[in-house]
Amino acid sequence: MNSENKKRPLASVRALELAEIWAGPYCGALLGDMGAEIVKVESIQRISRGAINPRPGAPGYPDGDPGERPWNRSANFNVLNRNKQGITLDLTSARGVEVFKELAAVSDVVFCNSAFGVMEKFGLGYEELRQVKPDLIVLFMPGYGNTGPYKGIRSMGMSIDAISGHSSLRGYPDLGLHRLSPVHHPDAVGGVTAAFAVCAAIHNRARTGKGQFIDMSQAEAFVPHLGEIFLEYGLTGQPRERRGNRHPAMAPHGAYPCRGEDAWVAISVRSEREWRELCQIIGSTQMSDDPRFKTLKSRLENVDALDDAISKWTSDRDHREVADLLQAHGIPAGPVLDCDGDTYDDPHLQQRDYFQAVTHPDAGTHLLSGPMWKSASAPQPRHEPAPSLGQHNNQVLEEVLGFTSDEMQSLEQTKVVGTVPLEGSDMGGVRRVQRGN
Amino acid sequence: MPLLALEGIRVLEVTDGIAGPYCAKMLADLGAEVMKIERLDAVSMTQRQWAGERVETSLTVEDTALFLHLNTNKKSVAVDLESADGQSLFRKLATQSSIVVESLAPGRMESLGLSYNSLKDLNPSLVMTSVTPYGQTGPYKDYQYTELTVFATGGGMHREGIPERHPLKYGGEIAQYFAGTAAASATMGASVGALMTGLGDWLDVSIMECMAGHPHQIGRRAPFAYNGELDPRREPRTSAAGGREPYAVGTFRCKDGHVSFLPLGPRMWPNIARMIGRTELMDDPRFNSPELRTDNRIELEAIFQEWLDRHTRAEVFEATNNAGIPGAPVLTPTDVMDDEHFQERGFFRELEHPEHGALSYPGVPFGFSEVDDVPGHAAPALGEHTVEALSEILGMDEAKIGSLREAGIVS
Repeated sequence: MNSENKKRPLASVRALELAEIWAGPYCGALLGDMGAEIVKVESIQRISRGAINPRPGAPGYPDGDPGERPWNRSANFNVLNRNKQGITLDLTSARGVEVFKELAAVSDVVFCNSAFGVMEKFGLGYEELRQVKPDLIVLFMPGYGNTGPYKGIRSMGMSIDAISGHSSLRGYPDLGLHRLSPVHHPDAVGGVTAAFAVCAAIHNRARTGKGQFIDMSQAEAFVPHLGEIFLEYGLTGQPRERRGNRHPAMAPHGAYPCRGEDAWVAISVRSEREWRELCQIIGSTQMSDDPRFKTLKSRLENVDALDDAISKWTSDRDHREVADLLQAHGIPAGPVLDCDGDTYDDPHLQQRDYFQAVTHPDAGTHLLSGPMWKSASAPQPRHEPAPSLGQHNNQVLEEVLGFTSDEMQSLEQTKVVGTVPLEGSDMGGVRRVQRGN
Repeated sequence: MPLLALEGIRVLEVTDGIAGPYCAKMLADLGAEVMKIERLDAVSMTQRQWAGERVETSLTVEDTALFLHLNTNKKSVAVDLESADGQSLFRKLATQSSIVVESLAPGRMESLGLSYNSLKDLNPSLVMTSVTPYGQTGPYKDYQYTELTVFATGGGMHREGIPERHPLKYGGEIAQYFAGTAAASATMGASVGALMTGLGDWLDVSIMECMAGHPHQIGRRAPFAYNGELDPRREPRTSAAGGREPYAVGTFRCKDGHVSFLPLGPRMWPNIARMIGRTELMDDPRFNSPELRTDNRIELEAIFQEWLDRHTRAEVFEATNNAGIPGAPVLTPTDVMDDEHFQERGFFRELEHPEHGALSYPGVPFGFSEVDDVPGHAAPALGEHTVEALSEILGMDEAKIGSLREAGIVS
């Protein structure tokens, strides 16, 4: 860890991460951004870094080349696991569990986003863990939480999107729900909410000396993000209708086509003042005089014609230029940035130093994003690259636990630790937890 | 010894919008004492905001619902922050608080004489969290926003929808809530630092950057950075890079509604074939490799759909669970409130509000084993806790409070 990170608020915290896919690893990334020492515990028996032997040219690798150690070159894994140390431990072996407990005894936090019961099967439930460290903070965050009828059901962000009510509110209102895009946003919510809960528990422990088991449900993390919709139903008895991009109290309100391929600008007009300004910018007396567009009520009644008129004006203009022009008049607008070059090229993000080039020893130099917030008192943290598989086995086990090189050798020989995946250890990247082991 | 997780932590909130209030709500729901500093001239729920420009949009029940949801467990203190006396009161409260959450336009707190630097001199351990659409610096810092426009710039919109149509926002006010959650995380992290070192911090949280920095966005941008791979809007049944079974990806009709699936790879195929009672398909030459199932996905989807049409959401949910395929029923918000799982966990809680009566509110997403849950109370009335704040925290007597009230500084 570099010296700048020592100034960050969680610099004295060590957290053990048992996490895969998005929600759990992102919790670790955020705690790492805040200066915590994150020890990501993986294994050579079960690889969640993508396929071990992807076909040549498989997507998501540097220059399309998975290379000799694809597990260290996965774009997705590497961007989500910044600022962590990586070790491997076979938690299905007694020795692996012992070593984990030794680490837990010198750690502050253990967090896991596996399905309910996985840690208990390893013999690493909260009761076992608190025996080795009474003030440990343990957070388990299965999709539906650690109690209740659905606790054992495995979920992904998409499942949470469906069961929270959000899927039923998305999409084009005139198309069936079977045309919805897959959305994984609840993973993001789960990760960030877990980071909040962990920080709150660390704060509490600093004042009381007490550790904590935190039962978190990713579904319950997301439902409050739709909170007013539940209360609106309580107040009116009317369920919320799908709206697409439209809004009952603002018009125009939508994404309008711009010059170039699949380029769009989002525009929201909140008031009559903004509407008059927009008409002036467009320079169309025809539009401002049109009785269909005179009032919010009439614009909402003629919203298709309104959107056509706006689209006609935007369609031969640049999406950033339109947004800048409208914003100069105080009208909410923004380019619809894509996840390709558009966001990396964004002048605002660039000026705020949002991207940093980070070199990963096995994957090369690429841009990493964030953190999501800036601190006035500490310099912008420079990200450490994601760990390669088992990269910090020696460092963590020797320096933190004082293992000898003989002990390390024995752990390697018995495959409790390692740096190369075992044959058959990838299950398409995301292996189902096997029942009964 | 505190019985609640954040008991004894005082928070001053000066916000409008959603992200700032939601950040403070997360602290309040864990037992922090959140004082929402409000305008005196707020005559209705929906005008109880600090927006510089009074937007003429009509007042809606949605605004009331938002206010009720965002302000559970908070106190309301009405202070005129545009007056020198009001600013002085705020500074005094800030010296006896741990956290300030604000979401005013960049520079506005400074123009009120309440910048972080000035408050820090009075209270070095103060954590101040500023949550704004685009952050405190940079070319967009003064940009106006709505959920739609900030969601668009955060990168979530371009990919949502189908290729032949315009991109879509999500349902609800998703970007703002997400940023509020991130802001709460950052605030708690900085508060840990303040407890350890005695030194607080000023956090600059941008809704755009929260969305652009979220795992989905950075995960989607990564293949572009690594290999120039594009990520446009796609048809819903598209096999992702992980080689999912595309005929079973996404949302599907079923007997009584819709269900959602995300099979995670070719290993799911036998489970799916068994789930729909069509094990013979495993040997069918049209379907016996991942490539063939992708090529013939329309045929296979029709077979899958035929099974779905005969089963209810509850039956499908149970079947996917038995088969080990991530799947879930598509619930409407009304369904969610009635759902047995949320009920058994006691997630929704009924709170009584003097004006709006008893309503069911979403609760707290986690339980802590060693502290008590916060007994919830509904959003405060405007200025309900002004006297309490001035007398109990600042030690003012009735006469002093009365003169502040007469001068229009508090109410």
